[in-house]
Amino acid sequence: MIGLIVSNLLRRPGRTLLTALGVAVGVATIVALLALTQGLRNTAAGLVHLGGGDLGVFQSNVSDPTASVLPASLVGRLADKPYVARATPLVLLVSAVSQDPAAIVFGAQTNGFFAQRLIIESGQPLRTGAVVVGDRLAAELHVHPGSRLAVDQHPLVVTGIYHSGVLFEDQGAVTDLATAQAINGHAAEETDVVVQLAPGTSLSAARADITRNFPGTQAIADADDAARSGANNVLISKAILAIVVIALIVGGIGVTNTASFSVLERRSEFGLLAAVGWSSLRVALLVLGEGIGTSLLGAMLGLIIGVAGSALLVQALGIGGYISPSITAWALGEGLLVGVAIGVFGGIYPAWRVTRMRPARALARG
Amino acid sequence: MARARRTSPPGRGVVGPVPRPMSKLVDESTTRAVRVSPQLGMGSCDAGHPVTTGTARGAVVSVQQVSKRHGNVPALRDVNFEVASGEVVAVTGRSGSGKSTLLSLIGGLDQPDSGTVLIDGRPVWTSRASARSRRELIGFVFQAHLLIPTLSARDNVAVPLIGAGVGRRARHARALQLLEEVGLADRAVHVPAELSGGERQRVAVARALVLEPRLLLADEPTGALDTETSTRVLDLLLAARERRGMTAIIVSYDAEVRTRADRLLTLRDGQLDDSETAPLALP
Repeated sequence: MIGLIVSNLLRRPGRTLLTALGVAVGVATIVALLALTQGLRNTAAGLVHLGGGDLGVFQSNVSDPTASVLPASLVGRLADKPYVARATPLVLLVSAVSQDPAAIVFGAQTNGFFAQRLIIESGQPLRTGAVVVGDRLAAELHVHPGSRLAVDQHPLVVTGIYHSGVLFEDQGAVTDLATAQAINGHAAEETDVVVQLAPGTSLSAARADITRNFPGTQAIADADDAARSGANNVLISKAILAIVVIALIVGGIGVTNTASFSVLERRSEFGLLAAVGWSSLRVALLVLGEGIGTSLLGAMLGLIIGVAGSALLVQALGIGGYISPSITAWALGEGLLVGVAIGVFGGIYPAWRVTRMRPARALARG
Repeated sequence: MARARRTSPPGRGVVGPVPRPMSKLVDESTTRAVRVSPQLGMGSCDAGHPVTTGTARGAVVSVQQVSKRHGNVPALRDVNFEVASGEVVAVTGRSGSGKSTLLSLIGGLDQPDSGTVLIDGRPVWTSRASARSRRELIGFVFQAHLLIPTLSARDNVAVPLIGAGVGRRARHARALQLLEEVGLADRAVHVPAELSGGERQRVAVARALVLEPRLLLADEPTGALDTETSTRVLDLLLAARERRGMTAIIVSYDAEVRTRADRLLTLRDGQLDDSETAPLALP
């Protein structure tokens, strides 16, 4: 049966390929967007625990956490809470290092726990008006203590090279808060506040209290929180759902159309299969199998295009600097599942039609 | 070449348009262990061609008061006849007289508007059983060979075996066996486009025989072939039928088919022409 399905699909290779390409576009879009979502989640996960914090406080309803803007007064009010052990503000400058747009430059208090946690490998600790560079970025850009690093076209002296163990930090650089705010153009604003909770404090209780007492903010404790909170993520999730539905409808119609034509063209063949004793169910399964085969081919092509295209997508959206698309088994599985579903969805009608054929008429009209 | 006219052998149950009780027909078909078959081959009967024997496994066909319309056009009207086990019946008539419709109804490919077609006493058309009946009882040969263009000769012969759920290896072995029987073993891997018209029809014959049917239905099997090829295909078809003791109903304009059949049925405007529906008699 499978051999017959393959042979029938190869009978009209151009038609099969074009139909498969239609399916591939839908599947590729889904895979690329899922890769983008996962990339956003990874970014968010890295940002939440910057500096060893238990949670990060961001502005609510922002497109993504790096777009958050908080008043400078917030950190003091947070620090007054009994369940907060320490709190330190951060300013995040994205795409600020032209040689490596993925590097993030952090503006942090020189005496805050974020800056103090950095292990200086060479040179001096952070001081006002200067910058310390993560060891990964330093190796990439060949900078060392005494050289200069342009942050948003502001040349800063590199005082030291550090290692923190957090990828985002080691792939970035840290300057003092005031310098970062000056570069950012927002003197009294921060991106987020990193909070370390007092021992024995319930994370969920602290998160709920912050959300309640500081309207307009959100406390993010893990990557899932971050994924849910970023408007970009929500938007992408909704876009994926919409594209899945559109792919199912458009791809399904494409497969239905192709399979229906094929059934009409091959009426005598189906009449013959009935004449030689094939049951209606078996003939229907043949037609359905051809639909699924076409969409599976499309899904395979879609997975390849989606993986290759996801990198291009982040560049096209201008977010390549801090989001790396991440292809997961789930994304590939979902793409494949949608492909198979398109085949099943699109093959049902022609399969049903073929079961309604009277063999004698099919043979006579063939 | 002399035209061969024969009587049906004793016990072949050559009957006219009037149906006989099915119990008798069934008994007849199942109790004969060895059947004496009619002589085959062009004019060979006159020369005393030796009779062959086959196992009595042909099906008994009973067409009872069958009518069928295509839209408003009556295709068959109260057609009524029987075919005994192992008999070869030629059906003839002008274009549009209902020959192919009759064959479709006998083969369970269509449903009569009224009346019944029984094969071995069982109605051939029931929505669920017809496919099984066709698989177990009937082999079809069509004028247009209806081979699947992308499949090799071997795979085309094996198509009915897929429907019967036979495994791949067994399918291939069986198909090759049949191709050998029709003299096309060396063409097994060729697709239909690489075969001549006669070879394609021989592949179609092999396909019709692959499930060892008890009833062979052929609709103009030589209609698209030249005379020489037509004779070869007909020889092959009838010889294969003979070896298996199958019953055969062959729709054909071909005079040779009519000559070599046990009995001739003539359809005229959807009705059997009684005056021409008679056993062929030896001179």
